Amino acid sequence: MTPTPQTGCSNGAGGNCSCSGKVDRRSFLRTSTVLASGIAAIAASLAPLRELTDFGSVEEFIQKHYKELDPGEMEKVLGRIRTEVEKQYGIRPHLRDLKPMDGVEFVYCLNLTRCIGCRKCVHACVAEHNQSRSPEIQYIRVLKMPNGTFDMEKGDHNYAPESVPEKGFFYMPVQCHQCKNPPCVKVCPVDATWQEKDGITVIDYDWCIGCRYCEAACPYFARRFNFTTPSIPKDKINPDMAYLGNRPRHKGVMEKCHFCIQRTRAGKYPACLEVCPTGARKFGNILDPESEVSYILKNKRVFVLKEEVGTLPRFFYYFDV
Amino acid sequence: MSADAKNTLVSIGLAAGFLALAGAFLMNLWGRPAAVAFNPPVAPDFTNTATVRLSAAELFRTEGDTSGMACYSCHDEKKPVTVKFDAKGTVILSEPHRDLVMRHGRNNRNDNCFICHDSKNLVLLRAHEGQSFKLTESTRLCGSCHGPTYRDWEAGIHGRTGGFWSRQMGAATRQDCTACHDPHNPAFPPLKPAPAPRPLHLRGVATAPKGAH
Repeated sequence: MTPTPQTGCSNGAGGNCSCSGKVDRRSFLRTSTVLASGIAAIAASLAPLRELTDFGSVEEFIQKHYKELDPGEMEKVLGRIRTEVEKQYGIRPHLRDLKPMDGVEFVYCLNLTRCIGCRKCVHACVAEHNQSRSPEIQYIRVLKMPNGTFDMEKGDHNYAPESVPEKGFFYMPVQCHQCKNPPCVKVCPVDATWQEKDGITVIDYDWCIGCRYCEAACPYFARRFNFTTPSIPKDKINPDMAYLGNRPRHKGVMEKCHFCIQRTRAGKYPACLEVCPTGARKFGNILDPESEVSYILKNKRVFVLKEEVGTLPRFFYYFDV
Repeated sequence: MSADAKNTLVSIGLAAGFLALAGAFLMNLWGRPAAVAFNPPVAPDFTNTATVRLSAAELFRTEGDTSGMACYSCHDEKKPVTVKFDAKGTVILSEPHRDLVMRHGRNNRNDNCFICHDSKNLVLLRAHEGQSFKLTESTRLCGSCHGPTYRDWEAGIHGRTGGFWSRQMGAATRQDCTACHDPHNPAFPPLKPAPAPRPLHLRGVATAPKGAH
């Protein structure tokens, strides 16, 4: 075998290679067969991408940030979402963008003496907020805690007795605390989550990139991530929707409790409060001295969860003593 | 073997390998991630906002069956009712009242019917201080003994509310004591809890151990 000049010879083939730019028929066929089968293998390995259907539309992609939208643009965005929801779920939603009210700051109070751990709040919340049923996404987690401790490590999420309450335990529902100093907002790299002036920390699902920093930052396990496309039965869709609230989410975005923005900014109580069979949940405007929450903060022994982390929650627990 | 033949062999091998891979990918030999497990819907009871029982006021308002409150359909208006007790001092309920559970108070001392009912007029309630209330106004009777709880109830702190938190935008709904408490057995009844959270795991993956975070 005589060594052949290698300079400029790309296919490295034997003596038939002429390095003056010409490729002979045999080596061309050989190379292109390998190349074509390689490309076919790569293409086939990408086959699962065909199943990706949950892309946002172009309009969604080029949409401006929520805070930069003027009313006309907002109306266009709402129109697009209405059409998308109708296409996906066969129901025309009553979707609007509700703004915070003047002189209103929301506070939630939960009476641990009364809570019996029945988890009705969890499922009323799921129904109200069009949360994914499979897999389950739930904003409220009820902890069964042994009497005499607030060590969260001792809490049990998965209790399932015949009836509640069980002797020797108390129940502690945990959801978004709508902190005044929210760590989740600080870590968001794209400003997709922020605190509104009525105290609700909201998420723009169209702006979220799904990095899950906020989930890691939250000391209350309040944020949930859509790992898969949310699945909601069509007949279970709640058509009363708000842009920053319970409109259906895509795969790959965060969501969390927003004090039922679609209800509370329209003057109504949250869904978890209305369904609570014992009346353990109380909600209202802390700036109104006549409100129930003002009465509780004045007259009851309230505490906040993980006070030491300095989040200043707007969610208070109290006892009837 | 000549270099050319060697190259051809390598090329054939590579091409065959790639084609086999392409076929394997297309036939999904490694499998896709398992489908998400389907969770059956929760029972509608768990999202129902109804109270655990019906108060007399609600029963009259919704025109339900109030025959149980027509005392004088059985009792005689002229004949005073006497309450009988057994040797232990427990009230003996007559046959039509057998379904009542008399467990008001922890020491079973509140088992004389006429602590709350008016012995002279059975369709009325009578507080210790002597005020008379209709059966539908029982909340004020309860308040005559349970002061702090009544104070909380008046402030909207004790018991269930619904409707509007904003008094300018709509009315709030309130419930009477007896919408949640059986006056004869007032402890709140135990309830069946709604299903525990089903973890975000896919089918075939073991669920988190009890108490895991």
